Amino acid sequence: MGKKINIWYISSFLISIAVAIPIVTVFSSFFETTGNYSSIIKDTFLYDYIFNSLTLLIGVLILTFIIGVGCSYLVSFYSFPGANFFKWALILSFAVPAYIYAYSLTAFFENYGTAFSILKNLFGEGNYNAHIPKFDGKMGAIISISFSLFGYVYVLTRASFHYQSQNLIELGKNLGFSKKKSFFKIILPSARPAIVAGLSLVAMETLSDFGSVSFFGISTLTTGIYNAWISFDDLALANRLSFYLLIFILGLFILENLSRKKAQYHTPSKGGFKSKSLTVLKGYKATLALTFCATVFFISFLFPVLQMLYWTIIFPKHLADLKLMELFLNTILLVFLSSIILITLAFISNYGNRVSKSKFLEILTTFSISGYAIPGIILAVAFITFVSWFDNNVVNFFGFNTIKSIFIGSVFGLVIVYFVRFYSLASNGIKSGYLKINYSIDESAYLLGYSKFRTFKEIHIPYLKNSMLLIGILISIEIIKELPITLIMRPFNFETLATTAYIFASQDLLEAAAAPSLFLILIASFFIIITSRYILKD
Amino acid sequence: MTKNFLEINNVTFAASAKSKVNNVSLTIENEGDIICLLGPSGIGKTTILRTIAGLEKIQSGKILLKDKIISSKDIHVEPENRNISLAFQDNSLFPHYNVIQNIEFGAERNTKKKKNLTIDEVIKFLHLDHVKDKFPHQISSGEAQRVSLARALLSKPDLLLLDEPLSNVDQSFKEEIQVKLKEILTDLKITTIIVTHDSYEAFYLGSKCGIILDSQLKQYDDPYNVYHFPNSIEVVNFLNRGILVPAKVTGENSLENDDLGTITGNFIKHYPKGSEVQLLLQPEDLEHDDKSNLKFEVVDRRFRGTNFIYTLKTGSNKLIPIFVHSHHIHQHEVDEKFGIKRPINIDHIVCF
Repeated sequence: MGKKINIWYISSFLISIAVAIPIVTVFSSFFETTGNYSSIIKDTFLYDYIFNSLTLLIGVLILTFIIGVGCSYLVSFYSFPGANFFKWALILSFAVPAYIYAYSLTAFFENYGTAFSILKNLFGEGNYNAHIPKFDGKMGAIISISFSLFGYVYVLTRASFHYQSQNLIELGKNLGFSKKKSFFKIILPSARPAIVAGLSLVAMETLSDFGSVSFFGISTLTTGIYNAWISFDDLALANRLSFYLLIFILGLFILENLSRKKAQYHTPSKGGFKSKSLTVLKGYKATLALTFCATVFFISFLFPVLQMLYWTIIFPKHLADLKLMELFLNTILLVFLSSIILITLAFISNYGNRVSKSKFLEILTTFSISGYAIPGIILAVAFITFVSWFDNNVVNFFGFNTIKSIFIGSVFGLVIVYFVRFYSLASNGIKSGYLKINYSIDESAYLLGYSKFRTFKEIHIPYLKNSMLLIGILISIEIIKELPITLIMRPFNFETLATTAYIFASQDLLEAAAAPSLFLILIASFFIIITSRYILKD
Repeated sequence: MTKNFLEINNVTFAASAKSKVNNVSLTIENEGDIICLLGPSGIGKTTILRTIAGLEKIQSGKILLKDKIISSKDIHVEPENRNISLAFQDNSLFPHYNVIQNIEFGAERNTKKKKNLTIDEVIKFLHLDHVKDKFPHQISSGEAQRVSLARALLSKPDLLLLDEPLSNVDQSFKEEIQVKLKEILTDLKITTIIVTHDSYEAFYLGSKCGIILDSQLKQYDDPYNVYHFPNSIEVVNFLNRGILVPAKVTGENSLENDDLGTITGNFIKHYPKGSEVQLLLQPEDLEHDDKSNLKFEVVDRRFRGTNFIYTLKTGSNKLIPIFVHSHHIHQHEVDEKFGIKRPINIDHIVCF
């Protein structure tokens, strides 16, 4: 049917416009005048911001590539003790946000930290501090971010390896390739789009990281934005810096999209696919593979959990002082509200696009979902900028009372910014579900006398309910860990597990940050475990 | 009493520039008539069905169902309000419902219609008993096609549109299904348009056949006429049922060909004496005769069960097909000489 402006079209249009507003605000800020701080920044810190952001990016990309590709290669092509366990256990690293990893790293290696205590208990008093390596500054941030994000590379590469046909491996053998040559000539190149896609996600997250870089006191573009706004009250400059960062991130976003399109070429056809037979490793090779995966699992997940658990136990007072139930309920409230709104609106928008078949809507949606590529801190600032502009220019003009308090420092405003930030996650999830529904199925329903609404309600919703649940959980994991948006947008005296951990850590009270961090990891782990099967499959 | 059950007046069917059929006019006179549309792949047959179903809009002409305009430049009745069913060629089953639930979706519609067709009956005749509890991804494409057909049939629409309904169905029960399908459609008086590329299926099921070629409805006639009296060289080539040889009209009932000599018969269209024409030679037009002195070389022999089709090379290097019953006393090998009975008489002479 030809495109037609109906209720579905209008709904989809409005949703996309709402999501796009903060993005447009950031772009429009480029033309605004900035304060004096702008020239100071240009002369002093700007170079540092860019240099630090780039060093961080390169370090994280190298480390996540080695860990992510290494682990996925081992569990995809070899059979060794624990391989099946590591297949899913390695994705638990998603439960540990980089900033909590940073707290653990510091807590363990700092002077008189956990490492010191262990050595003292084992060997008695000694000058251990001089010999314990210190992972702070850029090195600390690279390690924290890498072990927290390598999961992206791991999951995507593993999916690509998983679907690599045995035919491809046999082809290598047939051509007389050694195992090493097969890996570099066949396996790795054919997984390249997936690896690039994984690394692009890592790059975007690294550039938008706020928690760990601010904890380690590294000046990056993200902390620059925060400082421009919080310390110097220069919203225009914050937006200007955001714009620079956004251009860089959009480049990565396009790269990721291009590589994902290519990835489709590597999806096996139904007929020709032959599943792989795994090579069984024995002896020292099995031990090496097991050691590699176990080390990654330990460092990425067990280490921060144990460190936080240890401090929670030895400092019970902090746990007792913590309003755990309140923090938990606040976190769950945000998760629940955001998931419901995101899924409902993403579903309506996707169905609107499907029914109206409008190219314009498609382009608008693609633009609006780029919100995921924008660091949370930028979105929050952009949202506040927009609300202030709207309040000053539109609301005041009509003589109404200020609306700032409705949107700024309120749960409502917070959920709106979450909505913009995670809309692409929900929308892409629903869209990939929809891609599995042939359009002739909708047409069959219409021809059986079903209206568009009834088709949506009785055919699509029941079919996509599992996808919706999965998306809901993925959104939940992201929101539980989310820090900068929550920090900026939350109402006064409204804390979540993430913000409480951050506030304690920023006051150098790492031991007090342990309990909320631990509970945050446990809740996120719970969600990851129940969805691991889907995450690994898709 | 309506004039025609379905009328398509000068409609251009277009889903894309590639799949376009121009200025189509055809009618289905009576309720319960079955017509078939034949044509090569990608020509736009499916687009015609989709447009009649209301899934595509039209820019010119109009479509009337029971005297009511359902499509025109200004009017477009939504598909859900047309009471037209379309069984798609590809799998269009609801993936999260099993076979029986999918079929029930059809049965829910038009429950008030007098003549009833039960789900069990349809399942039985379409051989779906063994898959009724399975989900669409667990059944073969042929089975999915039959489920889709069952769902469409049970919805008892005013107009049923079937897009290559049996293309993936096993040969072993394809004919049986064709027979039963025709019986049900006739019995329930369900007016049907079937798109197919199988000319035998079209000739059997349809009371009329439309041939779509070169973005046009080339011929719309009853199956016998389409086969025996094709109205253009394109239709002859599409049906692939004979060859054209040059001939000269020598009288009211005769013509002359360099290789075959004099041919007599009834012209279906008058040509003046001396006209140079292209004569359509169909495999059944010539007869085999071992004793004949008109002999050509065998270049190919195809066994078709009930008969052989020999391809013969004439003196002027033309290749002519000829049927021989497979019980014929002996067979001819390639390169052997093959006799053709004279005098040659063709019941109806088709020339272009």
